[in-house]
Amino acid sequence: MEIKLYIDRFVILFACFCFSSCEDFVEVAPPNNKLVQQEVFGSNETAESAMTGIYNQLFQASYINGSSSSITYLAGLSADNIKNIRTTNLDRLQYEESEIIADNDYNLNLWSSAYNIIYMVNTFLEGVSGSEGISQELKIRLEGEARFIRAFTYFHLTNVYGDLPLLLTSNYRENELASRIPQSEVYNQVLDDLLISSELLSDDQEITERTQVNSYTVKAFLARFYLYMEEWEMAEELSSEVIGNTADFEILDELNQVFLANSREAIWQLSPIGRGGNTQTNEGNLFIHSDLLPFFVSNALRADFLELFDETDKRVLNWVGFNDLLQEHYVYKYKIWLSNELPVSEYSMVLRLSEQYLIRAEARAQQNNLTGAIGDIDVIRSRAGVDLIANTAPNMNQTELLNKILEERRMEFFAEWGHRWFDLKRTGRMGEILGNDKPLWEETDLLFPIPAEERMKNPNLTQNPGY
Amino acid sequence: MKNNYQSRAYIVAVIVIGLLLIFSIKSLAAVTTTPLPYFQDITITGIITDKDGLPVPGATVSIKDTNNGTLTEMEGTYNITAPAGATLVISYLGFKSREVAVDGRKEIDIQLEEDVQALGAVEINAGYYNTTERERTGNISRVTAEEIELQPVVSPLQALQGRMAGVEVTPGGSNPGTASTIRIRGINSLREEGNFPLYIIDGVPIISTPVETNSIAFNAGLDPLNTLNVSNIESIEVLKDADATAIYGSRGANGVVLITTKTDKQRGTGLEARVYTGASTVPNRLDLLNTEEYLRVRRKAFENDGLEPDANNAYDLVLWDQDRYTDWQEFLFGGTSSTTNANLVFSGGNENTSFRLGGSYFSQGTVYPGDFDYNKVTGNFSLRHTSYDQKFNINLSVNYGIDINNLVGNVGFSSIARLPPNAPAIFNEDGTLNWSDWTEAGLDNPLNGYYNSSTTNNNNFISNILFSYKIYSGLSFKTSLGYTNNWSEEILKLPARSSSPADVQTNNSSHLNSNRKSWILEPQLNYEKDFGKLNLQSIMGATLQENSSSNSRFRANGYVSEALIGNLTAAETIVNAASENTEYRYSALFARIGMNWDRKYFINLTGRRDGSSRFGPNNRFANFGAVGAAWIFSEEAVIKKNLSFLSFGKLRGSYGTTGNDQIGDYGYLDAYEATAGPGGLYPSALANPDYSWEVNKKLEGAIELAFFSDRIRLGLSWYRNKSSNQLVGYALPSMTGFSSVQANLPATVENSGWELEASTINFETKNFRWQTSFNVSFPRNKLIDYPDIEQSSYANTYRIGHPLNINLGYEYDGLDPETGFYAIRDINEDGSFDYQDRNVIIDRNSEFFGGINNTLSFKKFSLQFLWQFEKKNGSHSLFNAGRPLNPMVDILGNLDGESKFQKISQSSQAGTAFNNVLNTTFPIQDASFLRLQSLSFGYNIPRKSLERIGFKRCKLFIHGQNLLTITPYGGMDPQLSLSGIEIGNLRTVSGGVQINL
Repeated sequence: MEIKLYIDRFVILFACFCFSSCEDFVEVAPPNNKLVQQEVFGSNETAESAMTGIYNQLFQASYINGSSSSITYLAGLSADNIKNIRTTNLDRLQYEESEIIADNDYNLNLWSSAYNIIYMVNTFLEGVSGSEGISQELKIRLEGEARFIRAFTYFHLTNVYGDLPLLLTSNYRENELASRIPQSEVYNQVLDDLLISSELLSDDQEITERTQVNSYTVKAFLARFYLYMEEWEMAEELSSEVIGNTADFEILDELNQVFLANSREAIWQLSPIGRGGNTQTNEGNLFIHSDLLPFFVSNALRADFLELFDETDKRVLNWVGFNDLLQEHYVYKYKIWLSNELPVSEYSMVLRLSEQYLIRAEARAQQNNLTGAIGDIDVIRSRAGVDLIANTAPNMNQTELLNKILEERRMEFFAEWGHRWFDLKRTGRMGEILGNDKPLWEETDLLFPIPAEERMKNPNLTQNPGY
Repeated sequence: MKNNYQSRAYIVAVIVIGLLLIFSIKSLAAVTTTPLPYFQDITITGIITDKDGLPVPGATVSIKDTNNGTLTEMEGTYNITAPAGATLVISYLGFKSREVAVDGRKEIDIQLEEDVQALGAVEINAGYYNTTERERTGNISRVTAEEIELQPVVSPLQALQGRMAGVEVTPGGSNPGTASTIRIRGINSLREEGNFPLYIIDGVPIISTPVETNSIAFNAGLDPLNTLNVSNIESIEVLKDADATAIYGSRGANGVVLITTKTDKQRGTGLEARVYTGASTVPNRLDLLNTEEYLRVRRKAFENDGLEPDANNAYDLVLWDQDRYTDWQEFLFGGTSSTTNANLVFSGGNENTSFRLGGSYFSQGTVYPGDFDYNKVTGNFSLRHTSYDQKFNINLSVNYGIDINNLVGNVGFSSIARLPPNAPAIFNEDGTLNWSDWTEAGLDNPLNGYYNSSTTNNNNFISNILFSYKIYSGLSFKTSLGYTNNWSEEILKLPARSSSPADVQTNNSSHLNSNRKSWILEPQLNYEKDFGKLNLQSIMGATLQENSSSNSRFRANGYVSEALIGNLTAAETIVNAASENTEYRYSALFARIGMNWDRKYFINLTGRRDGSSRFGPNNRFANFGAVGAAWIFSEEAVIKKNLSFLSFGKLRGSYGTTGNDQIGDYGYLDAYEATAGPGGLYPSALANPDYSWEVNKKLEGAIELAFFSDRIRLGLSWYRNKSSNQLVGYALPSMTGFSSVQANLPATVENSGWELEASTINFETKNFRWQTSFNVSFPRNKLIDYPDIEQSSYANTYRIGHPLNINLGYEYDGLDPETGFYAIRDINEDGSFDYQDRNVIIDRNSEFFGGINNTLSFKKFSLQFLWQFEKKNGSHSLFNAGRPLNPMVDILGNLDGESKFQKISQSSQAGTAFNNVLNTTFPIQDASFLRLQSLSFGYNIPRKSLERIGFKRCKLFIHGQNLLTITPYGGMDPQLSLSGIEIGNLRTVSGGVQINL
């Protein structure tokens, strides 16, 4: 009997032990390589790290980093400055022929890398605004930097794809079935972000690393925005502000120094340090025909494009290379094809001062200030070592001058940021020029297709016409 | 190489020393054994043997109607004191009991007859409790040592191919050590990594996901069971239905694989040594073009396209030697890999204590170029002790394995087999990689990375100790305490000469160290009692488990010379350092009540409450349970009387729920990680705090029959598993920031099917025995429900009413008469081809699969062979003609005449057409196969001739693996059949000897 009792107690005790031990046991602390969101935005230092994270990840993001899925490369192939060579890669040929297929992988990379950055910025903005551990001063600056990156990204996306799903929250449940909204509304958001950013960032901030967004980065990009919007006065005003900051920016005489890290011509650059490995730029690796592997190349400059240049043009002499074995010219703005050296000597250029001069030239020409426009374009021509318009054709009419500016932009910005492609589009000349150039050209090729995979997953996404 | 040689020599030395040791112990034992005299009765001695004349150690020899008895020694001998008129009863598991009258004899030798069919005798491990084949209410398949121990495989999973109904094992690749895939009753989870069964080795759960590696096996990973010694496995049980798996609760959804290692149950000491060696090759070759044919096809392509070949578009026609021929398949995988295995087991014990100590060595090469191999050394120890009053029991098992995997670094091997046959040499004459000929054509040397080598050193320690104590009649307390520790160090050496001039050419190394530790504590109370005809067995217990994993990785760059690679002080920089640790905790309460009436009617109730740290705070706990029942109707008097040919008949059924928590840890945390660039933090995935368990409801009904004194046995089961609340990387459009998020999917996936297992004794005489066992499974997988699928991101991936792993393809429309290229139908007539035109469901699921195993023995000879079969479709896409890639000879018909293939062309239009047609049923072929998966032949040297040299038993055997495949499929291996070029199982022939002392 006593034994029985003892057993009963034992069983009950055992059961109690079992029940009580379970509930708390399965609580675990987060792992050492992760920081919970609340902690990230809990102090100035970690919040700064999250901003550094965005800058680092920009160099991992295909659309912006100058790699083979970047706007630089794909919009470049789509226009008439560079061409594919020795490539059997169908996905690349589709851009050159303006026959992009909706499930082109490069296109999907471009799109998804851009939206990944938008997600990062959205979640960052939410984290910063909800934080109580970050100083007010820092909050303002971080919001300014992040908003700029979002505006920059949407601006390019809408120029590539037209109407877009405009996502301003990190909540994937809201975002996953979002539809496209008209381009004008996307532009409104871009402008909003840029204006807020411009307000938040102080003009007094010292510019050390040109990879960090500052108030002049925003102004320079606003100038481009107004140019695209054909708000000439505003474009002129903002580019003038940037040009006026001679303490920070200047047009460098030596062309081979333009693309160096933190060059004084640079307004915004991305550092290959974000790759966490080799330290060359993607543009350098993609465009340069290496002496080591002269056959191992995928693209070159088109001969008809090179014919535009004077023989004495320093841009040809400094920014164009020649491959003897293949008898092809190649883009040689960046000089380093492959490197793992530190410190990093070349950064990937996003915005530079030359563009501000040509923006102002165009804005002035549009407002019939032809002399002012010629003055600006001549700054660039003078640096290139070619005849100044003020000397050769000071009496050029407005249309001629605008054409001249467009051509100057083509020669100055080849293989940079798809400038040629976007210029042809915004000036309405794409059909006329590329229609003669590409046999398979159609009017609908102005826009890239919405990636098929995205449309598979989000049935509300419509396709651009012609795809 | 020198190291390998040394380690092999070391192993041989260990075996020799071991043998010597045993000899000396045995000679000592011989001196000290003197039978005790007993005066009242006579002392009887003798030897118990099986039908082959081999001694049966550990058999019980008892005196009928008394409690007196003894066990036989290792040599099968016994001595017992009994009244001269008594009757001896000799029994041993797996043999028919025999009764022999003493009749005053002092020496009685007895031969036992095997009783393979003894349903009641075969104990089955059901995890927390044991049951028998006869009385089980759940579905448990079992494979025993005899079937797998001779197979020259690295992981025990590979030995299961074709042996169990409902269990499908697919090889991970041809490199030794790569993880195989095992699926028990189909795919339940949409996540690839969510379909692993639970592995339990001697009561200790092992993380079943493959071990991460940077080596060439990085796709499949390394099998976590590699470090087990296949020869040391006693049995593998696979639990399939709700009744069997519900006691594992949240981890039983994909079935449970229970691996029991050998323990010793016998008295005296013994030694077993086994050595085998073998050779493996890739069993077949693709029928590709030779140089002349290939070049004709390429020229034809340019002719058809009206294009002049030049150095840019036709390096193979313009730059390369037109007469050169290399058989790239032979170059790549024409080699022979050798396998060696040596095993040594030392065991011993008495009534109360027994132990088993074993060691093994295994090595296997690869069929690829280069000097690479896989080695493993294992050691195992088990100890059992029972107190004199039989109340206290302790059981210890320790398995330790070291696995040294030397593989080539990550090289894209598969592309080499289809190189143009006139492609330039891979190596220069001095043995360095040839870059110049390849880069001239704008190509990388395809063996770029060849000098990379990886060495993975994987140590695995698994231990479990089980105490049990009988508190009171029928009530016992048991607790098991397990500890595992798996640590692996991997170095990938990347010498400068291995990389193309297109890379920064420095000497680098990449390091990966990982550690998985776990402990588990499982206290249990067992209670068993008979109430008249009612028998009750119950268990109540709890589980506390903690796994912690950590890994760290870094890359060291810029070693001055290749010889210094790996010596970190000689590295210039250390970059990309990252470390990660995760912790997983799991707790559970479980209970089981099994009742039966008169051993005829059975009911089994199991339940479990689980908590797992993998879920957010609100979703950590869940309950699971099952009910199983069985009726042995052959025990009913009516049946016994009227259907005397029916020796056994049972109906059983079960229903219950299990879960699945196989997801990454911490997925619910909204967390940031360090960026690759310095100083940054970024969100690396979307977080979802709300996801919860995947629930799998399993229903099963089965009938088991045996006829003619169990000579024919049949088991037919039907099952239906419904897996809902699917936990997946829910696909999102990447505009949300990422392409997926961990979430529960409101979908129900159904796996249902029939499984038939049969075994027959076709022939049985004194000298000849032939037994056949057969299993076949008819699995069906179906998405049965998905609310609002049209509005979800899966709208264009899945179809309700169809299996999950279907492809939605285009409709093939024949060859376009205008272009001569493949045409596909533009369903919505919008002028372009996209997902909206992909309406054809391409189903490559298996229709049925199974195996037929035959075991024959004739006197001293034994033969066992297993045929594996499967009916399914595969894809075969090696018919792309015109581009610089070697196609199958089938396309040659296109050179002059009409054929079903498109016009030979190298244009991008033809390329697009080819890519499109891959998405139709056009490349689908019947990939059914019948394969002689394993064959072993053994010969036991007669005992008489062995006695002189002191051997108890000596067996010679040869074994063949994957010897013959009959299939209509045109690619390499119908079992994989993704494009045709995949290599799965190698063909292996091995031979060896086993000696028992």
